[in-house]
Amino acid sequence: MSVVFEGAARTLLILHAVLGFAAVFAASHHAAHAVLAALGKPQLRALQRFGWIAPAAVIAQALCGLALYPVYRVRVRAADLERNAPFVVQLFDFKEHLAALALALVIAAALAGRNSAEAPAQVRWPVAALSSTGAAFLWAAAIIGLYVTARHPV
Amino acid sequence: MSRPERVLRAGLAAVSAFAIFYLLPGTLRLPVLVYHPAARTLAFTNVVGGVAMRYFGDLLVASAAALLAAAAAVLLRPARRTPLAIAAGTTLSLVGLDLLFYLSRLLAAR
Repeated sequence: MSVVFEGAARTLLILHAVLGFAAVFAASHHAAHAVLAALGKPQLRALQRFGWIAPAAVIAQALCGLALYPVYRVRVRAADLERNAPFVVQLFDFKEHLAALALALVIAAALAGRNSAEAPAQVRWPVAALSSTGAAFLWAAAIIGLYVTARHPV
Repeated sequence: MSRPERVLRAGLAAVSAFAIFYLLPGTLRLPVLVYHPAARTLAFTNVVGGVAMRYFGDLLVASAAALLAAAAAVLLRPARRTPLAIAAGTTLSLVGLDLLFYLSRLLAAR
């Protein structure tokens, strides 16, 4: 029995990690600039720059993770974690939910942020809130992902 | 309504719809696309056993709902608009509700 992308699983895992950290740092930068913009400091160029870098990195790492997911499900979760570490299975599921919510938050914050730098404060604060929540979720997902990978990589 | 406000309202609608439709299909066990990685088959079902995965299906439903909500927020322009702070608070509350639900499942598994 072979699972889709099984032959490329380790390459995909490394790519997923690299893109994951790019996503975490880009989303964190976006959140920091969105908060500064909400405080009234001019951040037009930074919000426009991270307004495409952050969603691009998040989408790329999500696609990489989705490609890798079937291999994890069969070779890691079913073969090892469900029997030996059931809590880690739940932890991984929690990470997947955080990543999904972060995907929506970061994309929405990035699109709204591109136009918000010159907008009134009532627009800038919600952008900062969306962006900061998305970045926090990505940080949590990245740390949980590292822990699960340390327990049993693909 | 200014362009930044229109884009923000569309984004808030999209995230709200995503949060609702990401949580509901799984908790209500509604049928979605389920992928079976061992057999390499896709099925539209609510029965998920063994290594079958409904994550792709849940994500697809939530993404479609988010796109529809964003489009509706852009196209429909109600005469009375909810203040942005309340709209943002509602959106983040829905996201928080998802987070609390999944956190409760994680803690229950300890």
